[in-house]
Amino acid sequence: MTKNRLEQRRTVLKDMISASTLALVAASGLLLPQRLLAHWPMDAFNAKTVEDALMALLGHADVINDSMVKFKVASPPSYAVNGASVPIEIRSTLKGIERIAVLVEKNPNPLAMSLDFTTAVSLPFKSMIKINEDSLVIAVISAGGKLYKTSRMVEVDIGGCS
Amino acid sequence: MGLEEKDRIRAKLKEDETTVRLLLAHPMHTGHGKDEAGELIAAVFIQDIRCWRNDKQVLTIKCGAATARNPYFSFQLLGGQQGDKITIRWVDNIGAKGTVETIVI
Repeated sequence: MTKNRLEQRRTVLKDMISASTLALVAASGLLLPQRLLAHWPMDAFNAKTVEDALMALLGHADVINDSMVKFKVASPPSYAVNGASVPIEIRSTLKGIERIAVLVEKNPNPLAMSLDFTTAVSLPFKSMIKINEDSLVIAVISAGGKLYKTSRMVEVDIGGCS
Repeated sequence: MGLEEKDRIRAKLKEDETTVRLLLAHPMHTGHGKDEAGELIAAVFIQDIRCWRNDKQVLTIKCGAATARNPYFSFQLLGGQQGDKITIRWVDNIGAKGTVETIVI
């Protein structure tokens, strides 16, 4: 009898604790942005390192350095005066590209953009990114479950993350 | 008097490939920048850009704050013909939206 009651008390306490933590988390607004923007991979974009970003975005970070993925010569340039808009152009001979990620190693949040490809899209892809300080710019292509990358060191005069 | 601030798009067919060039008018604040009074400017940046060709979605671009101001993109669509309708929709982190469309020439 006493044992039974003790167990009851235990489960009630447990329920109360989990319920209150959930309420706290919900109230603090941690759940809110993710629910609103479930389509935007927040963990990946808020990651502080290249590995974390790739893990969050693609599930693993075993990247092969491969000559099938290339930046165009001088895009990004190895030296850019203004880091606020640095052109990039990604080229590749790979088939069946599923996703491309562009990362800047030394930026506060390395992941700059992520592209979800369908079979109707092909490279080259051009865009402009911000680079905060001298840093490696990395393009990662996910094709057939494998990751291929290319990178280039870019020096900037004026940081671009303002 | 600069150019009027608005989204621009061009799509051109050349040898079985349609080149889409897109320029969006957006400040893309990272949240690290300061205004003239030294106050931090809150982060406002485009998060999601989607591209349709004739009602079929072909490309999704997810952006972080490290995409440059007034984002520019250029990509190729395989095949297609003149007269195809290319539609772009974007949404930023505070919920502002935009649509821009063009006809392939």
